[in-house]
Amino acid sequence: MTHHHGPIGRRELLRRLGVGSAALPFLGNLPSLARGAAVGPKQRLIVLFTPDGTVRKNFWPAAGSLSAAVDGAPVALPPILAPLEPFRDRLLTLKGVCNKIRGDGDGHMRGIGCLLTGVELFPGNIQGGSDTPAGWSSGPSIDQEIRAHLQARPETATRFGSLEFGVLVPNRADTWTRMVYAGPNKPVAPIDDPYQMFARLYGQTRDRESLRSVLDEVREDLAAVSAVLPAEDRRILEEHAALVRGFEEELAEQRTAAAHAVPVLEPGILEDNDRMPQISRMQIELLVASLAADFTRVASLQYTNSVGQPRMQWLGIDEGQHDLSHEPNSNAAAQEKLTRINAWYAGEVAHLARRLAETPEPGGDGSLLDHTTILWTNELGEGNSHTRNDIPWVLVGGGLGFSTGRALEFPEVAHNRFLLALAHAFGHTGLERFGNPDFCGDGPLTGLA
Amino acid sequence: MLLWTAIALGASAAVGQSADGPGAGDHPGRAIYLQHCQRCHGPDGEGTDQVSAPLVGERSINQLAALIDETMPEDDPDAVDAAAARQVAEYVHEAFYSPLARERTRPARVELSHLTVRQHLHSIADLVGSFAGELPSLGGERGLAGSYHKGRSFDGQQRIFTRIDPGVRFDFGTEGPDPELFEPGRFAIRWSGSVVPTDTGIHEFVVRTEHAVRLYVNQRGDAEDPLVDAWVKSGTDTEFRGRVMLLGGRPQPLVLEFSKANQGVDNPNRERPTRATVELLWRRPGGLLETVPARCLIPEGAPPTLVLTTPFPPDDRSTGYDRGTGMSAEWLGAATTAAIETADHVAAEVDRLARVRRDAPDRPDRLRRFAATFAGRAFGRPLDEDLQRLVVERPFADVDPDAGLRRSILAILVSPRYLFRTDGFADGARPVADPYRVAGRLALGLWDSIPDRQLLEAAERGQLASPEQIRRQAERMLVDPRGRSKLRDMLVTWLRLDQSAEIAKDPERFPEFTPEVAADLRTSLEIQLDELLWRGPTADFRRLFTDDEMPLNGRLAPLYGVDLPATADFRRVRPDGGQRAGVLTHPHLLAMLSYRSATSPIHRGVFLARGVLGNVLKPPQEAIAPLAPDLHPGLTTRQRVELQTSPATCQTCHALVNPLGFGLEAFDAIGRHRPVVRTDGPAETVAEVAVDDSGAYQPRHGAAVGFRGARELAAMVAASDDSREAFVRNLFHALVRQPVRAYGPGMQGALEASFGEQGYDIRRLAVDIMVATALGPPASAATAGPPGAPSR
Repeated sequence: MTHHHGPIGRRELLRRLGVGSAALPFLGNLPSLARGAAVGPKQRLIVLFTPDGTVRKNFWPAAGSLSAAVDGAPVALPPILAPLEPFRDRLLTLKGVCNKIRGDGDGHMRGIGCLLTGVELFPGNIQGGSDTPAGWSSGPSIDQEIRAHLQARPETATRFGSLEFGVLVPNRADTWTRMVYAGPNKPVAPIDDPYQMFARLYGQTRDRESLRSVLDEVREDLAAVSAVLPAEDRRILEEHAALVRGFEEELAEQRTAAAHAVPVLEPGILEDNDRMPQISRMQIELLVASLAADFTRVASLQYTNSVGQPRMQWLGIDEGQHDLSHEPNSNAAAQEKLTRINAWYAGEVAHLARRLAETPEPGGDGSLLDHTTILWTNELGEGNSHTRNDIPWVLVGGGLGFSTGRALEFPEVAHNRFLLALAHAFGHTGLERFGNPDFCGDGPLTGLA
Repeated sequence: MLLWTAIALGASAAVGQSADGPGAGDHPGRAIYLQHCQRCHGPDGEGTDQVSAPLVGERSINQLAALIDETMPEDDPDAVDAAAARQVAEYVHEAFYSPLARERTRPARVELSHLTVRQHLHSIADLVGSFAGELPSLGGERGLAGSYHKGRSFDGQQRIFTRIDPGVRFDFGTEGPDPELFEPGRFAIRWSGSVVPTDTGIHEFVVRTEHAVRLYVNQRGDAEDPLVDAWVKSGTDTEFRGRVMLLGGRPQPLVLEFSKANQGVDNPNRERPTRATVELLWRRPGGLLETVPARCLIPEGAPPTLVLTTPFPPDDRSTGYDRGTGMSAEWLGAATTAAIETADHVAAEVDRLARVRRDAPDRPDRLRRFAATFAGRAFGRPLDEDLQRLVVERPFADVDPDAGLRRSILAILVSPRYLFRTDGFADGARPVADPYRVAGRLALGLWDSIPDRQLLEAAERGQLASPEQIRRQAERMLVDPRGRSKLRDMLVTWLRLDQSAEIAKDPERFPEFTPEVAADLRTSLEIQLDELLWRGPTADFRRLFTDDEMPLNGRLAPLYGVDLPATADFRRVRPDGGQRAGVLTHPHLLAMLSYRSATSPIHRGVFLARGVLGNVLKPPQEAIAPLAPDLHPGLTTRQRVELQTSPATCQTCHALVNPLGFGLEAFDAIGRHRPVVRTDGPAETVAEVAVDDSGAYQPRHGAAVGFRGARELAAMVAASDDSREAFVRNLFHALVRQPVRAYGPGMQGALEASFGEQGYDIRRLAVDIMVATALGPPASAATAGPPGAPSR
């Protein structure tokens, strides 16, 4: 390809036009390459939400060590937790940690709205199936509290601070669909479209690549159109060509600097009920890649919503989950289906744990899972009774330094104390109360480490 | 070319002066110039260290002679007498000073330029919008369509009635809209239509209500992210805000959904009839919070418009109008970022824009065809094979179709064919009157945008060849919202309203002049301009200066001596017993051209001399602060200005400026009419004296004209050849964005003649300018030779 330089040298022209080491406007804000220089091991938290309570008899393991053996073989995990068998030693279950928040809103609303916030909902206009109508949470969620703590320190600040993933979260903003709060009346919507999340994470990289690929065409075309112009007008195009060339060089430099593996998504997956398994896996890939790239150290992954109604036809189940969850415990068929539904969720937790375990910790020892805690939770303890006692808390991984391989039981403690313990595990020990102070009585929940 | 222009305009004779003037080289004035003038002005008026500005201007030989006689040489004005001054004036005028002389020595040409910021914004809006649907017209009713429903949602079964509401500002009490038709505890209303903002920029919308609302602005009514989403009522907030970039003059969809009922689980037993109010307000760029007025709302919906939010460096306005002639890394960066912003939008919306499902088996083909159509519209002509390969086939190669589409959109929008679309330079090898080039010139001229479907179809059928065909298209385009917006922007720029910062006055002198009054005055002037442009059968330029009515509302009326109900919306009134004279005496303009507590005859005079009458004024030779009133107590503002500008160096310009500004002295610093003025200074010296608003103007041709007061001043301006010449030139530059001289020395004169013959109709002039230029500049100007060579 020929390239006209005109009377002034290209470098001289670039200098005059102000193109140099300074990046062009949109090239700023690159991934946090310089950030996160190792100061102690990294800590990460992923909150994973699934709806409608669990099947207690098929979920709770016997209290004590999960490695306890009978006749030389470890006791089998309950059916719902069975998919987590490979991570038995990295597992910690907490029974008796209860969401005690009262006030406005029905059980499902307070179940999700107070789950990570530990504080009442505002009065509002969202009417539940019972109780008084309510609005949004009146305080932030613990993940956002931890995010703010990490972002305030250069050594732990990341490009995004936190990322909120979703899987088939209904397209409506109300108390049942929001778990994460940046503050009072500030719900954070999860992104449940993997393509949208991809654009958020890699849009700039993609744009740079797209631009690189089209600049050749631009220059070729510039040469073609310049040829028919009078000499005076050619000058402005030569300046343009020089700028384009400088731009291209800058892109090439940025590319070298920013190189890391970008996940490849299968194109054309529609957001509908039947694609839930694919979407779940796409989101997990993006989540793992975000942690590996240190885009964030706090994330959430919200499957559907409180009162979630997925129909898991890929498991041979035609009814919606929430409808099933209202069936009495005496309905054995419903219990069996709910067990399989929850075991499917456990399988996704296990897949996430596996992907983290397979990914080496960048610049550190071990795997991502060694430095990440997955916290799997739910808005209810049980669907038909709507109890918010005995929320099924499952922790996997070593991010928070908790002692794993155990099934713990507590005597009906308020979950605010557990939320405090999460913050303290991140070194946010100045936080003495979180949510409703009346439920923080004895400080952070002890016995976890 | 001259002959052709005359025919195209229907003008009886071309007015352009012959460029074959008498030889300047042997003029007797040359010797006097070299003796007395060239040491400061340079041998050919190019300037020297002493006087850096070139000796060029618009004064006539008469004006120039008088000036030289009185003021030159600066150190000894007596050295040149009247006869010698006359000879010098003739010589410099002919040799280099006058516009014609400059045209001879530096032939103007149509220059290559990139899109201006406005052209960028409007082109992208129309390019993407061309796949989204047609814009509604602005000729109909104002307000929003209200759809009133029983129950808590917008189920068509429960719709009780629809009507047009002038705006949204309701207090339904505890009873609801009608206790006979609705349950007081649960009803729902959807207001829909379009907002037609006056300005381009960030607008803040505010909804006030105790109940559930969603507001969509420039979004689809089912968008996932309403501008305001307060459907969940939570806590005690009753005011909800959102900010959005809007494009001035163009309808952009607006939907406000309101529900007086609990949401979530449907349980009427838990609902109580509480008070229900709802109001939709906005804050225009630089404006105050106000209920969105009916004049900015229409009940017809519109497709959402892509409004670029990428910040661009400002355009070069050094020649008096925006031109894309500067190249910089900032501009290329902005253009590239804008391309990415557009590609993002198209990628997110392509299923709707290309009408193709994500899982359609023929999606790859459909996206490729979409990209080709997109390119054709962006470049303003169907793609040939080479371009198809360059901006479609290659970007789509080796990647999935959605990624290919993004690449293709980027390739199109960073292409020089798009960015330098002005006058279709990329088609330089084609004839100057090629129909697609004609379509491109019309679209840029009247819309600052790309050709629409009708223009491209006309081009394809060869129906953009004759002046009549071009005239029909131009007339159609002018009344389109985009044409209206362009013409309005021209008037706003010409009156310098776009550069006026917030007007604030001394609160002790003018306690009534609140920010609300200032905002209402701006609105009043905008309404006056809109009515002038669009209300009558023609838009008579002279009425800009002769109209003795103006729009006032209930808040402004008492301040300007008119009796209106306090809540009255804007209506035409005739204040001060007919003392007003169009925009020249509009209080917004008068207040803008005043100091905080006193008038400024100089600002007003400069505005008249330069902006309205088209004289070239040089900036003051040194920065001068206004005389403090305390130093010379007992003077009126007029007397103080006369005192301060009395030195000869000042009089070169102020002899022209001051007498014009004095004509408006009967209007104070907030534009109220006043029969007397107070002198300045300590309280004991203050006296009230009758206003002296006499003045005069020396036109570029013919005898000086005296006048007394604003009405006579305005009548002089309305009848003046100078104002006509200046307006024609301003409108030409706003539309064509090339020097009028590039279209031949006769163009300006022919347009002026036609303007006069057509009753000074601004709309007609805009069409005439497009008819005269759409077929391209004369061949000689388009391919001008090296600088210095004659263009004829």
